[in-house]
Amino acid sequence: MKHHTIPRIVTKLIIPLILLFGLYIQFHGDYSAGGGFQAGVIIASGFILYNIIFGLEVGLSILSINMTKNLMAIGILLYIAVGFMGIIQGLNFLEYNALLDSSKQGQLLGIFLVELGVGLTVSNVMILIFYSFNNLGGKL
Amino acid sequence: MTITLLYILLSILIIISMYVMISRNLFSVIISTTIFSMICALIFLLLDAIDVSLTEAAVGAGISTILFLSTIRYVDIIAADTKKNTVPIVILFFLLLMSMSVLIYDLPELGKVDVANNSQATKYYIHHSKTEMGVPNVVTSVLAGYRGFDTLGEVIVIFIAGISVLGILRNNKRGI
Repeated sequence: MKHHTIPRIVTKLIIPLILLFGLYIQFHGDYSAGGGFQAGVIIASGFILYNIIFGLEVGLSILSINMTKNLMAIGILLYIAVGFMGIIQGLNFLEYNALLDSSKQGQLLGIFLVELGVGLTVSNVMILIFYSFNNLGGKL
Repeated sequence: MTITLLYILLSILIIISMYVMISRNLFSVIISTTIFSMICALIFLLLDAIDVSLTEAAVGAGISTILFLSTIRYVDIIAADTKKNTVPIVILFFLLLMSMSVLIYDLPELGKVDVANNSQATKYYIHHSKTEMGVPNVVTSVLAGYRGFDTLGEVIVIFIAGISVLGILRNNKRGI
């Protein structure tokens, strides 16, 4: 796709908007529609669009396969770590009151961190599946 | 007005799914499933389920189309055996459609009060989400707060799906 001018220019214009929309869905999920799952998928689709237009080599130099594997594990570990914060302080698993002194602020922080973990895992799993499907010919 | 639009969209869904069953061209089947997902997202939007609609549009119409398309690049036969007899498929389709249309009458009415879905738990979430969690969006507070353990399970399922795909498709020589 490197020699097609119109898709390249349109992609360059549209990718910041897709990523910004993904971040909005991620961090504004408490107040409007959305959350980690949707944001992860939207960010991953923006990145996949970049890969389709500019080639996998360019995409891999930005986010390598090892990096996606690490990030998807980090997301899930972040979720479990938030859960264990409650157990350490003698409360239940995933009890967000343990995170801060104020109960309501603790809930907000807990939901924020959990959604962040979900977003990281989902986006990196989607990118990793895309990489794997494009490696069927053993090109990577 | 909404109900009429819903019926129109649902009948379009039936037509698209019939085309998907009959068609032998993989490319047009993939595009049809994308349209199917978009119409599903529109239906969820009409039913005020915005979060589900967003998920359907992003996952069903976005990512899965890309994955299907990047898979059929490696399939040599795009249009498989066009001479195959489609009559049994059509008969099966109409039998399924008829049985489901009969079963639809057992579903509860939309927004009815005395159904299990609208029982105590839902009322509790709607009334206490704002005071207990401080999150205006009830869906988020149920998903990440009240039902956080279920969401952890879902994320683990996605993680396992990722490593399974990696395990099946990995290229041992280059160590992906």
